Amino acid sequence: MSLLLPSNRIHPALPSHPEPPQQGGHAKVTGAARYAFDAALPGMLHAKVLRSPHPHARIRGIDTAKAAALPGVVAIVTGADARALALPTYGFTIQDQPVIAIDKVRHVGEAVVAVAARDERTALAALALVDVDYDPLPALPDPAAALAPGAPLLFEEPQPGFALPVGAGSTSRKEPAPNVLYEYTYTRGGVDAALDRADHVFTDSFAFSAINHYHLEPHVNVARFEDGRLELWSSNQDPFMLRADLSRIFGMPDTDIRVHTPLIGGGFGGKSYCKMEPLVALIAQKARRPVRLALTLDESILTLTKHAAELTLTTAVGADGRLLARRADIVLDGGAYCDASVMVALKTGFRIAGAYHWDALDVRSRVVRTTKVPAGSFRGFGGTQASYASECQMDMIAHRLGIDPYDLRVMNFLGPDEPFAPGDSAIDSDLKGGLDEVCTRLGYRAPKKAGHGFGLAVGIKDGGGTGNHAGAIVKVSQSGRITVLAATAEIGQGAGTTLCSIAADVLGLDAADARYGAIDTDVTPLNNGTHVSCGTVVTGSAVAEAAASVREEILAFAAEQLQCAPADLALEGWAVRRNGALHPLEPMVRGYYGGQGFAFTAYGHVKVPYDDGAPLRSQNLFWMPCWTGAEVSVDRETGRVTVHRLVVGSDAGRIISRRACEGQVAGAAIQAYGQAMFESLRYTPALQPENATPWTYRVAQAADLPEHFEVFVTEHMRGPGPGGLKGIGEAGMLSIAAAIGNAIEDATGVRVNAMPFSPEAVLAALDAADPA
Amino acid sequence: MTLTVSFTINGAPVSTAVHPETVLADVIRDEFQLVGCKVGCDQAVCGACTVLVDRIPMAACSTFAFEAEGRDIVTIEGLARPDGTLSAVQRAFLDVQGFQCGFCTGGLILLVTALLERDPDPDRATITDWLGSAVCRCTGYLAIIEAVETAARLNREVAA
Ligand code: FES
Ligand code: FES
Repeated sequence: MSLLLPSNRIHPALPSHPEPPQQGGHAKVTGAARYAFDAALPGMLHAKVLRSPHPHARIRGIDTAKAAALPGVVAIVTGADARALALPTYGFTIQDQPVIAIDKVRHVGEAVVAVAARDERTALAALALVDVDYDPLPALPDPAAALAPGAPLLFEEPQPGFALPVGAGSTSRKEPAPNVLYEYTYTRGGVDAALDRADHVFTDSFAFSAINHYHLEPHVNVARFEDGRLELWSSNQDPFMLRADLSRIFGMPDTDIRVHTPLIGGGFGGKSYCKMEPLVALIAQKARRPVRLALTLDESILTLTKHAAELTLTTAVGADGRLLARRADIVLDGGAYCDASVMVALKTGFRIAGAYHWDALDVRSRVVRTTKVPAGSFRGFGGTQASYASECQMDMIAHRLGIDPYDLRVMNFLGPDEPFAPGDSAIDSDLKGGLDEVCTRLGYRAPKKAGHGFGLAVGIKDGGGTGNHAGAIVKVSQSGRITVLAATAEIGQGAGTTLCSIAADVLGLDAADARYGAIDTDVTPLNNGTHVSCGTVVTGSAVAEAAASVREEILAFAAEQLQCAPADLALEGWAVRRNGALHPLEPMVRGYYGGQGFAFTAYGHVKVPYDDGAPLRSQNLFWMPCWTGAEVSVDRETGRVTVHRLVVGSDAGRIISRRACEGQVAGAAIQAYGQAMFESLRYTPALQPENATPWTYRVAQAADLPEHFEVFVTEHMRGPGPGGLKGIGEAGMLSIAAAIGNAIEDATGVRVNAMPFSPEAVLAALDAADPA
Repeated sequence: MTLTVSFTINGAPVSTAVHPETVLADVIRDEFQLVGCKVGCDQAVCGACTVLVDRIPMAACSTFAFEAEGRDIVTIEGLARPDGTLSAVQRAFLDVQGFQCGFCTGGLILLVTALLERDPDPDRATITDWLGSAVCRCTGYLAIIEAVETAARLNREVAA
């Protein structure tokens, strides 16, 4: 095992790589690709779920007698079954979410009854026969209502779990106040003194909206209990985290649980952490048959959202525009249950500093429980919320001081090699270089068209996770073909392609012949999950380590066969060179091992060490910038915003597949663009989700793209991964909404502080500023 | 009550008994195991389930199985030649990586196939118009639009 540390050097440029062959690409264009959605077992039943119509209610009784009598119904599961589990709840560090509602429901869409039947049609018919007697309780529509003195409590008692440990300058508290799930703080320097001394102090608040992940493949699981083992085929992107959760919930040894992770049809955070997997397992246990539960998209929308948030920033600035200190109060709407809210709160708080130098910071980030759909991870754990508020305020400050927003950023940027915070790692991108590239591509210095506005924004987030670790196995067969085994799920990011390329690079073998093995917790080495853009760096480093060991093993074998020292040999394709002569390996292996051949096999494992001196208790592994520029115009009559140009860039450290990197940035950017322009999950005043159906929930389609949309990915060669690699998957979302908001202000002189920037919201802001 | 419907699927004539309310996607997936037909939204919004019905792209999730009577159905599995040669549209999607997770890809390829049969050289507006019956949450559409333009060019090169 080796420790994986942030890189503090610039890697030498490598010869440019041809596009590596896409693992699984052929299957995806021919229909041969198999997803969790396609998993099927003999004798498999189909489950459907009855969901709460109330945002908050006590369950007085459930009558399932009529449903149970329906032919074809095999098992019915309610909170009574969940209560009998070793641990009936789940959630990341705070386990407050019941496997299925126990006594109470806390959001519309919460699972109350599940039926397994011979087909979905029968299961749905059975659900229609179930009677649930609810006693409605007062709803908590938003954090303000939940924080009000005397507000009804979502939970009467503290919930199981703990507050994630943190490092220097940070505090972490579980359930510190009524209806507050979690609070993170970070303090350094003297903010009060800095605010007193500063030439300017600006306080601004920003509202951020909730959206759904809308992965095209809904959540789907097939579970089977057999011979004392629980086996799952799951669209969950964290096979080992899921295994650990199931082990706690069912009180089973983790090795008695086997999770298979086929291809996943999109996730964006929506398929990370435990969701309905324990429920599917519970139904299968009760039915004594394999069970499949595939949610519909409607149900997926009621399963998880991105956190809506209110962020208030008080920022002290010198007369020259130098940023001095910032106080941030962040309130995240966590919805009914924890899910990954703890991580989101902590990361939003950590990231609110943005890409700039500060003398002092004082940050409080809270998650408040409300009776809405639980919020969890969404492509960057709070990074978008933080970048949005911080980058909007940068422009507002620039305008107030009469400084160009570009200049204000550049004068305050953290330089390469400057630590993000005391005790943390240094910035490993050239922030100004990336912003300059945006300005060039956008024509920021060219004269603006009448009525048009430009907006810039620079998001940044830490990447690679906190104390993460990963194992990988690399095997090389007698014919010189590579198999890579690792638990980073293939979710569209090209994990297999990247990891196979890394192994092939180390071995000097052909990546086209490398295969990414199926994920099966019985055989695949463990890692923390498919998260925080850590696949290429953390798992990739484990793959590189394993590949290097395999290489030694191959050379040692060949040296023995040729009766020389390994140091006399060089691996060249699938042969070894000794002095001038090339000795093919395949006959050598067959000669020694016989007809079946052999697989040289090695394990690699890397761990990011904990470090109490860093704010999040481990130095961040790498930094993910998002440079954005937008050009917009606004129709004064209708409030309609047209985005004429959108330029988005990020730094991959080093690029393995340019198309894959650009695709990640483009995809993330358009998700954020949709959120900025029109997409949001809305509720009625009675807290019924207003648009939680595919017909009413609008996501970006091709015709919605900006008139000109351009993506670039740089290689600053400073990442900690093999050859200077960094992760890139989450970056492209960070600063899109801020850049568009900033461009709207540049075009109209008005700050629109409501997301999305819909015609209604923009018109209201324009009218408020300039009543006709 | 069940009905018997007969149609051709990827060139093969078939007959099957279905409930009146059974949708085509379920027949294609469950009966014929052509699981390249994906169900995303199940409500004729996302296009993941798109198949060609008499060369017209249709949402199989929202088409009754009995509507297939006498028709010619093509799924993503039926596009490549029997020797495995990919169609121009498949080739283009593969070459430019017009996908990430790939859940939308089969439906999109069929949709684009139908577009290029009607308009071999579509302009941007026509392309985005047709893509209006599909959602891809992963790619941000740039690579998909590039794939459509590439496929049109490949088709022209073959024709030339
Ligand atoms: S699944 Fe048929 S259109 Fe979405
Ligand atoms: S590639 Fe994932 S939805 Fe299109």
